[in-house]
Amino acid sequence: MRGELNLLKKLINDPFDMVEEMVEGYLAANDHIIKRVGKRSIARVNSPIPGKVGIVVGGGSGHLPAFAGYVGKGMADGAAFGNVFASPPAKPVIEATLAVNSGAGVMYTYGNYQGDCINFDKAQDQCREMGIAVQTVVLNDDVLSAPKSEAQKRRGIGGLFLVWHVAGAKAEQMASLDEVVAVTRKANDNTRTVGVGLTSCTVPANGKPTFSLPDDEMEIGLGIHGEPGIKRVKVRPIDSVIDEIMEAILADLDYKGSDVALLVNGLGGSPAEELYVVYRRVKQICDANKINIKFKHVGNQVTALEMQGTSVSLMRLDDEMYQLINETKVDTCMYKKV
Amino acid sequence: MAQVNGALVAKALVLVAKKVEENKDYLCELDGEVGDGDHGVSMTIGMRAVSRAAKDLPANCTPADAFQSAADAYADEVGATIGPLYEAAFAAAAESVQGKSEINEIADWAKVYNSMAIAIQKLGKAELGDKTLLDAFFPAVDHITELSNKGGKLEDALASTAKSALDAAIATKELVPQKGRASRLGDRAIGHQDAGATSLAIVLKGFADAIAQG
Repeated sequence: MRGELNLLKKLINDPFDMVEEMVEGYLAANDHIIKRVGKRSIARVNSPIPGKVGIVVGGGSGHLPAFAGYVGKGMADGAAFGNVFASPPAKPVIEATLAVNSGAGVMYTYGNYQGDCINFDKAQDQCREMGIAVQTVVLNDDVLSAPKSEAQKRRGIGGLFLVWHVAGAKAEQMASLDEVVAVTRKANDNTRTVGVGLTSCTVPANGKPTFSLPDDEMEIGLGIHGEPGIKRVKVRPIDSVIDEIMEAILADLDYKGSDVALLVNGLGGSPAEELYVVYRRVKQICDANKINIKFKHVGNQVTALEMQGTSVSLMRLDDEMYQLINETKVDTCMYKKV
Repeated sequence: MAQVNGALVAKALVLVAKKVEENKDYLCELDGEVGDGDHGVSMTIGMRAVSRAAKDLPANCTPADAFQSAADAYADEVGATIGPLYEAAFAAAAESVQGKSEINEIADWAKVYNSMAIAIQKLGKAELGDKTLLDAFFPAVDHITELSNKGGKLEDALASTAKSALDAAIATKELVPQKGRASRLGDRAIGHQDAGATSLAIVLKGFADAIAQG
């Protein structure tokens, strides 16, 4: 509550001011890469880049580096910040679109959540009315959030990091809007993710953990906003949990014998050391299935505030996707690849 | 008889906002059981903006001006799913009372609530029984429409309409969600009361209380 003593042990002031104050600090810290184009919207400093398709991303706050962390060379051109775990309204999306539109068109890409779909669609409608060519690719990599027969209902989680690598690289090569959209769809279609959460997280303005998870349990399939997963298991050595995660991924898409890009993602509260323990097991399973890891990353990318846990994402690569990831330098606010 | 001019609608919006914020933790708790636990926060952020906008309205504003200010507040501040839904609802409410300086009849409010519910359905594409706020709103609309044919005091009609929304919100416990984050839970969500239906009931209670106070 405004004016009352803040009792949450977080690095914040008034919880209702957190996003505003975060955006202010974020802009100041990254002013060599981004500029503010609205109250809750940012774009690359040199936007619009002549001839380049602009990629606009966004979603609720609480997931950094996703989504605004990827604005910069090689990934996204603009982003809209929502409140914590809540889609931004259409307005900041429109502001970002206008800022990055060079005339070559703009692609929206974000995770599949109803709020994001409604607000981004509204922005898309309004921008199209202004004569801007806008296309959208909604991401749905979370295997356990819906059965394969209803894959269009699946959530978008950690896999976006891999998909945007491909999308951003294609746009950086000055491909057309249709080409960027096509390769982004292809990347999404070839990407699968499964996560496990060990703890809940606290939305600051809520003040209490979103859900309760007993100290001796882990939740498999947990979403990046604390949405329930598919089952809770007793705490056990992580190898057997990763075995289950990889089994679910490999059962959903045939990765055997394929080249892949791989992300072992931290949800925000787990130490890097533990993520490497996870990667070790993932690598063993890939080797056993003759899955050829051509690109990998281990770290916090798509987080859920301070939640402990991990997600594993695999993206099946064809030659085009591999070249795009391999050859493009990325220099964004929160992620670099040389 | 109630004299519901624009200033009173603005006053009602301030009270609605207060009631929603008072229930922030309860709404988050309901949402946390099946969703991501932020419904109370999103509604509070939106309603704070509504309250600020309503207090800035001139004393001679129309009911339509007051509803439109609430729509604009939601459009700019909230996002999420609930932001566009309430924006559309308040904009439809404004449209439904366009040109009127007072909305004193039960039929006026039946029209306001009906237009709000229809706008929400159009945008959210939910059906009755999908376990959304419409499962509280449609029964309330039916209730007030029936009362508008019977006649009676506006204050009583709004109060019993709010009660019917609350009863319907409680009854969402039995429903299986089809929309939003909770929809991915399927049958596991049975037994949990829908947060959006509950906040809608709180909004209608706010209107009822404010109009009764005058």
